[in-house]
Amino acid sequence: MVLLENDSFLTELTRLFQRCRTTGSVYITLKKYDGRTKPVPRKGNAETFDPVDNKCLLRATDGKKMISTVVSSKEVIKFQMAYSNLLRAHMDGLKKKDKKSKTKKTKATQ
Amino acid sequence: MPFYQTWEEFARAAEKLYLTDPMKVRVVLKYRHCDGNLCMKVTDDAVCLQYKTDQAQDVKKIEKFHGQLMRLMVSKESRSVSMETD
Repeated sequence: MVLLENDSFLTELTRLFQRCRTTGSVYITLKKYDGRTKPVPRKGNAETFDPVDNKCLLRATDGKKMISTVVSSKEVIKFQMAYSNLLRAHMDGLKKKDKKSKTKKTKATQ
Repeated sequence: MPFYQTWEEFARAAEKLYLTDPMKVRVVLKYRHCDGNLCMKVTDDAVCLQYKTDQAQDVKKIEKFHGQLMRLMVSKESRSVSMETD
């Protein structure tokens, strides 16, 4: 799993979408992150660890390659704008709304 | 694992689930260009809420909701998403 900076993550995510256009899925996972770098110990004393409240973890994969990034409150505004544009630009393979109103109009004129 | 039929119900249930335990909840987005569909899942590993769509108009809603959840996660105050839009 590759942990990237926000900008590199966006670049790699673009490439991921482009690779999966003809076949396959793109999975994106979003989760709140408290900044821990060590796993929670099963028993014994819990590590002295101060959780932070302002971070989230974003992961993306095509089933084979996985990329991830950590977004904090300072970067979220800029990142979210770029990220939204990216999603909207690439998720364009879905059906458009049926123009039912047009067919109704043509029927009315007949 | 219920698949919600309406976006509003899904969004309300998802946000409620997130607010009960922000650290446990994760949001998964699955996009298939070849099949032309998009699926969003919100789960805390006990409850699982899903919404599936093949409509382009839902992409904007899903992507907006995704962004709102992201901002909720990084904000320190526990502020509800629906309160923000009202």
